[in-house]
Amino acid sequence: MSLFPAVGRKQPRLRLAWWAVGLILWTGIILHLIPFFIMISTSLKPAAEAMSMPPTLWPKEPTFVAWKLIWNISDIGKSVLAQPLSRYFLNSLIMTFGTIFLSIPVTSLAAYASSKLIKGRIARPLFIFFIGTLMLPGIVTLIPSFLLTRNFPFPVPVAPNIPGTDIPFPTWRIWNTYWGIILPAGFSAGNFLLFKGFFDGIPDSIINAARVDGGSEFNIFRRIILPMSIPVYSVTTYFTFGGVWDSYLWPMVIVQDSAIAPLTLAIRRISDAFSYAGTTSTMTVVGASSALKPLIDQGLSWNGLMVLGLLQAIPVFIFFILAREYLLKGVRIQGLK
Amino acid sequence: MRATYHLPLTTLMASVTLTNITKHYTPPVGAPAGLPPSGLENVSLTIADGETVSVVGPSGCGKSTLLKVIAGLEFADQGKILYNNYDVTQLAPQARGVGMVFQDYALYPSKEGEDNLGYYFEVRKKTPEEKERRLRETADMMGIGFELLMDRKVDTLSGGEKQRVGIARCIVREPNVFLMDEPISNLDAKLRESTRTEIKKLLKKFGITTLYVTHDQQEAIFMGDRIAVMRLGRLEQIGTFDELYYSPANLFVATLIGTPPLNVIPAEVRDSALWLGQTALPLPADIMDKLPAGAVRLGVRPEAWMVSHQPGDGIPMPVSRVERLYTERAAFAGGQISGTAVNVLVPLDFPESAKQIHLQPDWTQVYFFAATGETALHTPGAPDLF
Repeated sequence: MSLFPAVGRKQPRLRLAWWAVGLILWTGIILHLIPFFIMISTSLKPAAEAMSMPPTLWPKEPTFVAWKLIWNISDIGKSVLAQPLSRYFLNSLIMTFGTIFLSIPVTSLAAYASSKLIKGRIARPLFIFFIGTLMLPGIVTLIPSFLLTRNFPFPVPVAPNIPGTDIPFPTWRIWNTYWGIILPAGFSAGNFLLFKGFFDGIPDSIINAARVDGGSEFNIFRRIILPMSIPVYSVTTYFTFGGVWDSYLWPMVIVQDSAIAPLTLAIRRISDAFSYAGTTSTMTVVGASSALKPLIDQGLSWNGLMVLGLLQAIPVFIFFILAREYLLKGVRIQGLK
Repeated sequence: MRATYHLPLTTLMASVTLTNITKHYTPPVGAPAGLPPSGLENVSLTIADGETVSVVGPSGCGKSTLLKVIAGLEFADQGKILYNNYDVTQLAPQARGVGMVFQDYALYPSKEGEDNLGYYFEVRKKTPEEKERRLRETADMMGIGFELLMDRKVDTLSGGEKQRVGIARCIVREPNVFLMDEPISNLDAKLRESTRTEIKKLLKKFGITTLYVTHDQQEAIFMGDRIAVMRLGRLEQIGTFDELYYSPANLFVATLIGTPPLNVIPAEVRDSALWLGQTALPLPADIMDKLPAGAVRLGVRPEAWMVSHQPGDGIPMPVSRVERLYTERAAFAGGQISGTAVNVLVPLDFPESAKQIHLQPDWTQVYFFAATGETALHTPGAPDLF
């Protein structure tokens, strides 16, 4: 609204511009909402209607049949998904919250130390070292990271021997475990920057006052700094949540065992199975695999994939609602003007 | 490791002794070369029990650093700090039991007024009864209306209210030493005056050893039993106002104290007289004895000129401007002598038409400095008033 000052809107040209900008913004909003509308509407259609041409805007008789089928998909077609869908959901939650509980404290404490505690010559090189990890695109570190998870902490395919012996160094194989997802995300350079920028804005005098009051450094962080920092914590937690929840490539590299696979891998698997079975095309179902036959018979096609898409999107959406106040307003120190 | 044990002080108050404190900062990366050194150079200072010393100096002179070193927020490279003969040089700030007031108030923004005061009791594991008692006592001392601030959020307080809470936060702990870092310079002029009176009253009431840092000499004079003048990390002089005003250690102190500042005019001692440009002034013998022959600098306070409108009565000065301070019932006439700007105190009814006045210094109130450097050759000393 502050795009154009209220007084200026009386001028015809400004008024025109105001309407034009409004129109563009509304178009953008609608364009962004259309996919979600189609997802919701398709997920409520029976299989035949989901593939009818031309498509219907809203199902004639909304039904939750696709939701039920997807949720119980492992009961019907074990060869598609080895575990119940809820298991994958749980796995995603474990990985996401595990990462949040490790990464947010580690990153924020590192940023606080870098911003307020480390002074002198070492401060800047240390900061650049932390930030330097941003300069490498993730794809470059994919294979070294994979090797690291095989023989942690050695980034080589075979762990070296202890010098002078034939015994290899003890290693920790975090590959194919939850730790393989959680540990590498334990420090986030992007969040570090956000945290550091925020902590830099807190006056040193507040920390000094707390020191004079007698608070230990950790107590100061916990009782004085933390309550001021709710905005930056919500924003970084949201980013971490979205990043891990929606990650696909890294879990695919790390996870082999279906018992610990996240939802993204399960969705990919189901969608592949459907594509092979031909249920996502408008052609007649030919040569559908015997495993999928019962599902297809009961009416699962595009509607099921839409359900999966929504299942994947809903938690991020909920988190966005929780953090929206700070995401939209920007990160500001609480109580300082 | 810094020690974290607490001071075994039996009394609440302490004298503070600094011996040869030196503190250097590493210049920040990318700082231009040739910056004046920051930090402290060999500062020695004793603050007696219950005394208030105000520290004044231009910005960057190290006065805030001095305060931080005493509080333990910075550690000296060399030197010793004693509280009551007790060495605290390596003691962490948490263990020193000082109270500190900051220029930006430094209240904890996420806490309400009362919790700002309560943090001390929280981290010291004091009983709720003791906290309650001290809060009540503090509220009594802070005066009317203070309790109303206690349950307000920090960001709803005005600057003056914030500083009252900040001061109360210090008092509530019964500090060994009270440290104030420009506590009122963020307030507006009117509030500044009333707050400084209030602080002065509180300090009188407690008799706490206090170090009061300010860049405003008026404030320093008002608050301090003694005033310490600092420049570039060095302590130039410490003393009462009279000592600094009438017996400054050097030119810097002489020009810093006093508004408008001391007029410093180049002059020459020749033939038992003082020559300012073309005018010769006879010098009293006792001053003459202290001065070398040749170039010197004469220092005269604006109020120490004897003004005459008669030609021949001293040094002629063309008047270039008259600044009338109606609230002070005074005026200052400005002009130049020997190419140096000079301020002269004149009566408020000084005629607008006066284009030239003739000045003679009051010889009992003049200062002499060496022609180069800052050495004081002669200072008047505090006058015997009665």
